[in-house]
Amino acid sequence: MTTGVLMYCFNTPTMEYSKLALKSCELIEKNLNLTITIVTDHETHKNFPQVGGISYKIVKHKTQNYRFYRGQNVPWYNMERANAYEHSLYDTTLLLDCDYLCFTSNLLELCKSDNDFLLHNKVHDISGLNRILGKLESTLPIVWATVVMFKKTERVKAIFDMIKHVQQNYEHFRNLYRIKFKNYRNDYAFAIALHQLQGQIKTNDFIPTPMNMLPHEYDVLDVDDSSVVYQYNKKVNVVTDTDVHVLDKEFISV
Amino acid sequence: MDIGKLKKYSDLAHDLNVTKRNSLEKMRARQIMAYEGRLFRADAQTINTVSTLKAHSKQFYLLDTNDNPCHIKDPDDFLRKLIERNQETLNTYSQLHDTLKRRK
Repeated sequence: MTTGVLMYCFNTPTMEYSKLALKSCELIEKNLNLTITIVTDHETHKNFPQVGGISYKIVKHKTQNYRFYRGQNVPWYNMERANAYEHSLYDTTLLLDCDYLCFTSNLLELCKSDNDFLLHNKVHDISGLNRILGKLESTLPIVWATVVMFKKTERVKAIFDMIKHVQQNYEHFRNLYRIKFKNYRNDYAFAIALHQLQGQIKTNDFIPTPMNMLPHEYDVLDVDDSSVVYQYNKKVNVVTDTDVHVLDKEFISV
Repeated sequence: MDIGKLKKYSDLAHDLNVTKRNSLEKMRARQIMAYEGRLFRADAQTINTVSTLKAHSKQFYLLDTNDNPCHIKDPDDFLRKLIERNQETLNTYSQLHDTLKRRK
């Protein structure tokens, strides 16, 4: 039985996601000790080391999407994640965003469970201000596609096929679930697919603890081997030995 | 007390509260452990439940964090692992708590 990490990484004109991915890979190798596959495009691939323990799968990313980031819309290539089942070389896969920093081995516990599909349905804002979730964003129970543990089973294949179907008909599903955001978001595509496949009943199998997130309003000042130092309103704080999803993408250039 | 001191007091309280909340989340995340293919929380409630059931039966069923049943065939082994993980996380949290107390 093989276990590995799958990551999607496409540089955009405004963001060098490859730098984030390299930092993330460094932490994964240290704390999870798993093999890594990065799905990327030709241009982004040039920024990765051509030797070492990381495997690459080169694809051509689909139509450009956009996201709201610090007051403006920026390009965002996030459509390929729906193909994770086909792209993964592993029996058990940890599908991670390249801005998710693993400072612990906690995710390995998920891989040891019999569950074939786990992801977060709760989030913890480490700034303490609970800024992540807004009100009335949709009528759907939200999940987060940032960290997904999946195994190659028929049920999981069905989930990913459903995600592709949702992606192809996203405008319809967005209206159906009254999703506020007009751009395509994997979080919602995954949530819709799970809701549809479970017979429109709230699903039960999730990662038992919330995902730690640092909102994009917070500036990351430093990231070392065990901690993230961040600042907001001249207040500096640190989070240590805790897995965290960092929404400030610019720290990597500091 | 002048307003400047009150502001400093408030800033410090904010930092301490945020750090404490994040440390508790870190502790809870580390308390999740896989056993016999199921996920359990190595907290006081699970430890007490296992301890009580163990006193009455050599084997029993227990619901995991996602309400899936798990057949516990070796309660001693399970309880030992739960306590180990629980104390590891509390030990880490306790050290941090002492550091916070010194900052007050």
